[in-house]
Amino acid sequence: MKLLLTLVLTLLFLALESVAVKYVGLGVARIDVTVAIVAFLALRAGLLEGAAASYAVGYLLDLMTGRPTGLYTLLAVVTFLLGRLAGSVVDVRTGKSFALFAMAADAAHGLLAWGIGSVSSKQVSLSSLSGLPLEVLLTGIAALLLYPLLKRFGLGAEKRDPGLLAP
Amino acid sequence: MLSFLKRHREPLLVCVILAHALGMFLGSSRRVREPNLVDRIALAVTAPVQRAAVATIDGTVNAWQQYVSLRNVRRENSVLQEENSKLRADVVGLAEARAENDRLRRLVHYDEASPGPKVIARVLGINPDPNRLTLRIDRGEGDGVRRGQAVVTAEGVVGQVLRATASASDVLVVFDPNCRLGGRIQRTRARVGIAGAGDDQALKLEYLLRTEDLEEGDLVLTSGTDGVYPPGLVIGRVTGVQRQTSGMFLNAGILPAVNFGKVEEVVVLAPQPAASFPTRTEGSGRR
Repeated sequence: MKLLLTLVLTLLFLALESVAVKYVGLGVARIDVTVAIVAFLALRAGLLEGAAASYAVGYLLDLMTGRPTGLYTLLAVVTFLLGRLAGSVVDVRTGKSFALFAMAADAAHGLLAWGIGSVSSKQVSLSSLSGLPLEVLLTGIAALLLYPLLKRFGLGAEKRDPGLLAP
Repeated sequence: MLSFLKRHREPLLVCVILAHALGMFLGSSRRVREPNLVDRIALAVTAPVQRAAVATIDGTVNAWQQYVSLRNVRRENSVLQEENSKLRADVVGLAEARAENDRLRRLVHYDEASPGPKVIARVLGINPDPNRLTLRIDRGEGDGVRRGQAVVTAEGVVGQVLRATASASDVLVVFDPNCRLGGRIQRTRARVGIAGAGDDQALKLEYLLRTEDLEEGDLVLTSGTDGVYPPGLVIGRVTGVQRQTSGMFLNAGILPAVNFGKVEEVVVLAPQPAASFPTRTEGSGRR
């Protein structure tokens, strides 16, 4: 059910993002709402559930690019795993901290995309990273705005072990 | 082995997912794959959302633009209305000035055609007393206007000065019942008496023998015999000729040439010199 909700939200955000890009004209810098969702999943979802959801989210992102190559599916799963690793050492509880976390995830996502792209294609150069800072910033803003919504839907919320000190 | 799989089920499945993603990337990186059922469903779901979002944004933008343009149109409309009002006022003012110019030009032509001292005056108002049909003009004794002087326009006779003050005068108009003047039928040269009928815009023709030739529309001029108006000024046209079977004189009216309701400028003429006839003494002296 949560996976379906994740997919629906992802589709909705991707559709809205594509429309926003159409009007705003962000040719270079995009808002990676999917990365924000993957980052949220990395913080709140279980390993298997989060990986599957990230796979689905990446798949949808790939699909929406118009030329699906599987790159974003792979990157989504990798970003999820990296995020989960990072989430184990940082404490993310507020919208601002989540925005910073999503920005870091987006930076990693972008660098990975650039790295893989530069390996697989000679057309990708260093200059294609010029839009990354703005993209990271916009993703952080989007993450800040999406955080209450994602929390409200309980996306990827799992019952973590409260530990011995919990009441 | 089975217990290992059970124990590490989640990481292994995640590895499968990751491997599948990697395989998909490596397998499809060289070519664009055809959309499968899942792709088609996903695209079919997103298309209405995009359409709705676009429609909403377009609708909002259009509504805003229409609102803005409506505001602009409204502002422009009020500016144009204001400008239109000013232009209308200007047009009215220009028409007024042109009409005044025409009237004054006719008066000047009259002035040039009629020798003798004259005073051009502007009508200030019409006295409200219905028994005294008088106009007030803006020239008085200070300008040389005296009681009894003839007042005319280029169209014809208006009346005579009834009272003159320092800076204004009252003019008794010819259709006042107290007004009398001598006239002449232009066509037949017959002399007639003319009196105000007391009715608005009407004169009476008096003392014309029943046998005289008179027709509707005959032009009536001043004869100059009354000592007030110079001869040849237009009084009006004959109207309503009635020939009685008995009595000496016929009845007829005169429609004044001057529209008194529209008189704005007038000319006050100098008193006419009294008609001088050679006396018997002078005549006999010459003999």
